[in-house]
Amino acid sequence: MSVGINRYQADLKDLSFVLEQFGFSGIAGQGPFAGWGPDEAQAVLKETYRFAREVLGPLNASGDREGCKLVDGQVVTPKGFKDAWTKLYEAGFKSVSVSPDHGGQGAPQMLYVLVEELLSGANPAFNMYPGLSWGAAELIAECGTEAQRKRYTEKMLNGTWGGTMCLTEPHAGSDVGSAKSKAIKQADGTYAISGTKIFISGGDHDLAKNIIHLVLARVENAPAGTKGLSLFIVPKLKVNADGSEGAPNDVSVASIEHKMGINGSATCVLNFGENGNCRGELVGTVENLGMSHMFKMMNGARIAVGLQGLATASTAYLNALSYAKDRKQGANFKFFKDPSKPRVAILEHPDVRRMLLEMKAVVEGTRALVVKLAAHRDQVLLYQGKDDEKAAYHQGQVDLLTPLVKAYGSEESFRLCAQAIQVYGGAGFLKDWPVEQYTRDAKIYSIYEGTTHIQSMDLVGRKLGQNGGANFQAFMSDVSAFVEKHRAHPTLGKAIESLGTASEALMQVAMAMLGWSQSDKVALVPLNANRTLMMFSQLAVGWLLLDAAVKAGEKAAALPKGHADLPFYEGKQASALWYARNVVPQVESASKLALAEDESPVQISDAAFASVDA
Amino acid sequence: MKILVTAKRVEDPESKIKVKPDGSGIVPEGLKYKINPFDEIAVEEALRLSAAHTGDVVVVSIGTKDVHEQLRHALAMGATKAVWVNHTGALDQLAIARLLQKVVEKEKPDLVILGKQSIDDDQNQVGQYLAEFLGWSQATFASKVEALDSDAEKNKQPGLKLTADKKGLTVVREVDGGLSTLECSLPAVVTTDLRLNQPRYASLPGIMKAKSKPIEELTPAALAVDVAPKLTVTKLSSPPARKAGIKVADVPALVEKLKNEAKAF
Ligand SMILES: Cc1cc2nc3c(=O)[nH]c(=O)nc-3n(C[C@H](O)[C@H](O)[C@H](O)COP(=O)(O)OP(=O)(O)OC[C@H]3O[C@@H](n4cnc5c(N)ncnc54)[C@H](O)[C@@H]3O)c2cc1C
Repeated sequence: MSVGINRYQADLKDLSFVLEQFGFSGIAGQGPFAGWGPDEAQAVLKETYRFAREVLGPLNASGDREGCKLVDGQVVTPKGFKDAWTKLYEAGFKSVSVSPDHGGQGAPQMLYVLVEELLSGANPAFNMYPGLSWGAAELIAECGTEAQRKRYTEKMLNGTWGGTMCLTEPHAGSDVGSAKSKAIKQADGTYAISGTKIFISGGDHDLAKNIIHLVLARVENAPAGTKGLSLFIVPKLKVNADGSEGAPNDVSVASIEHKMGINGSATCVLNFGENGNCRGELVGTVENLGMSHMFKMMNGARIAVGLQGLATASTAYLNALSYAKDRKQGANFKFFKDPSKPRVAILEHPDVRRMLLEMKAVVEGTRALVVKLAAHRDQVLLYQGKDDEKAAYHQGQVDLLTPLVKAYGSEESFRLCAQAIQVYGGAGFLKDWPVEQYTRDAKIYSIYEGTTHIQSMDLVGRKLGQNGGANFQAFMSDVSAFVEKHRAHPTLGKAIESLGTASEALMQVAMAMLGWSQSDKVALVPLNANRTLMMFSQLAVGWLLLDAAVKAGEKAAALPKGHADLPFYEGKQASALWYARNVVPQVESASKLALAEDESPVQISDAAFASVDA
Repeated sequence: MKILVTAKRVEDPESKIKVKPDGSGIVPEGLKYKINPFDEIAVEEALRLSAAHTGDVVVVSIGTKDVHEQLRHALAMGATKAVWVNHTGALDQLAIARLLQKVVEKEKPDLVILGKQSIDDDQNQVGQYLAEFLGWSQATFASKVEALDSDAEKNKQPGLKLTADKKGLTVVREVDGGLSTLECSLPAVVTTDLRLNQPRYASLPGIMKAKSKPIEELTPAALAVDVAPKLTVTKLSSPPARKAGIKVADVPALVEKLKNEAKAF
């Protein structure tokens, strides 16, 4: 399989705009971000984009077609991946936000998420390998002992070794707490690990010299459920005292999965300790903290999956747009029956424009949501230990928005990629164009790292009521402060007022949720959880798009007529208005559906679903 | 070994370039800029040579403060320091070569590497003038025998090779119909062709370090160079748009048209 051409596209102007929308210049240069400024951010985005297009993009389709192979028990990745891995670590883009203590550049999270968007967008399957290695390394850096940090993090961050997260087992998917993998303490303080993990991304590959697995397992006599899980560092090859790679550690790849998408990413079934020789180290020094450690990585990974969604949807949009400018079909709609009129580019057709404007608005809105979340993470770092109240506010917003970014980013990604196929027509269904692969790749985003429903239950079951509801209330008052400030805006005022209606609708459903949870209508909570998450996301995205539109309007007003940047600002306002008129009102209609208290999915008997056996 | 390289700011060929209606230049708004790709190859080559033989790489650019972006890029790739010749307005190739000559006399490098041409004006003159003004040896269109996917390239080995006594340089040149190898004595001026190397990405640590590397400012007046152009561009125009094709009835009609209209044979 030969390496192909790049199809990846990103709108760097929008990436830069969103950085400023959330105050990058104010954050950069301060405290831990002292070395950073807008110029560095621009240089990094520009160079990462170039790398993404020149190195990763050309491997996206070829990696998909070729897929991974299992040869003599070892995973062989698609052609070109190894070279890309080497180049990626040479350029150091993966350590943009890593603390300087671990050899990173300590950039604000706001910049990190955009760098990730570029890497993921060009080749999501490839970027899983370094992405998981990075996440595992950060976990060890945060939760490990000093010795573990020394032994593992640097090598995992500079590409010498890879890393994975091993939660899922055949009977423990969404229900992680039923994991059966065992850990038995040995006289030397290590643990004998045994069990089978499935669906492990990057569970084996030929990109790095060793792979460090982070494995959730249960120590003998530990409690059942998530409370009894501990986290272990289990290398593929044992690590010698001098840090070099030693003998195999009895971790074997039983098989790799054949999938719908992200085919360049090896999804492995791993057997640990089949011969009784697999040893692991406990992360940190205390047993049964496995889930809380793992959540450090999972929160980051959930954001990263939302980002994958954004990244794929964004390039799907931009490719569909290019195609729509090029493809000629039919006459302008005003003379659609007149064969003598010239054939026009499909971009002239109102319905194609509608699809594209929807894609543009949702992509930009999701990007704003992700960068807002990242900005809150940066603020936590700035205020920590200086102003506890402010730090708590920002941490609260991070917690609240994480399930939104993960679920909204992934659900909308798949939908928009499918819509990109629709823009192309029959060509989009063919492998000659990139959008069918984008659609196949995007489907996994709403499943791994916790399905959309798991995110929704996290939102309604934990996050809405967290801190006595303070995080949610703070969010709602930020929205109403925005509405108050701008409701008289000459062009956007009406759209901005619609946020008020949507806020009330969301509040009503949140209150109803509370009521249902304490009544015999408790089934209405899970029945409406996904809907609530969607309503919340739409309100948030509507707000952030309108905020962008206000700022874009101010920028545009300062420019002379005919300036080349004016269409960009016009576009920001168009996105916001379209979303406010076509999506934000759905929040109110959704609230009516929720408040109608329909319980039919739990009332219908199992037998009534269909008259087929089994 | 000290090496001086150039980093001209040029329009990024990926942005849409439009000629102004009056033909006085191109529309600057909305354009993206980058370092001249041939110069980028020169920077890469200099970095490889300086890694192999230890030494400094000085990068020079001439123009308004905007050229800092290209200087920073070269610094981020690994150059040691930058020289900015602050000038606003048009310059011809002679003036550029004169300015570079003065910078070279100031910096005293052992070697100057620059692109064989820049992708905006495509002149292919500055390197040759510069060698002449300096009275140095010159080797144009530097290339190499090894392919761009060879191990030598992956290991970032320089294509320009110092001779055993370190007083000369062996240069493989791209010429019509093949490669020719020549040896020249140092100091020398070398201009780069496309197949000399594949430039590295500016690494993330490199981008951060570039911030604190020095950019020295000079002016044509301080260098005592008269930059009044001896050559002026009077008008620019876009190439004529392609005419729509036509359909011919059959092969004989095609042959007839090729012969009599296109005069292809
Ligand atoms: C390509 C790929 C890569 C992966 N990579 C990794 C990895 O690197 N590491 C790792 O540990 N895992 C990985 N996974 C596993 C992934 O995280 C799980 O597939 C996911 O958590 C869902 O679990 P499951 O597949 O067992 O589905 P189930 O848990 O069986 O879910 C099936 C359906 O039931 C719903 N459901 C389940 N439980 C409940 C409940 N309590 N209430 C309501 N609804 C419920 C779900 O929402 C879903 O719709 C990967 C999976 C894939 C496909």
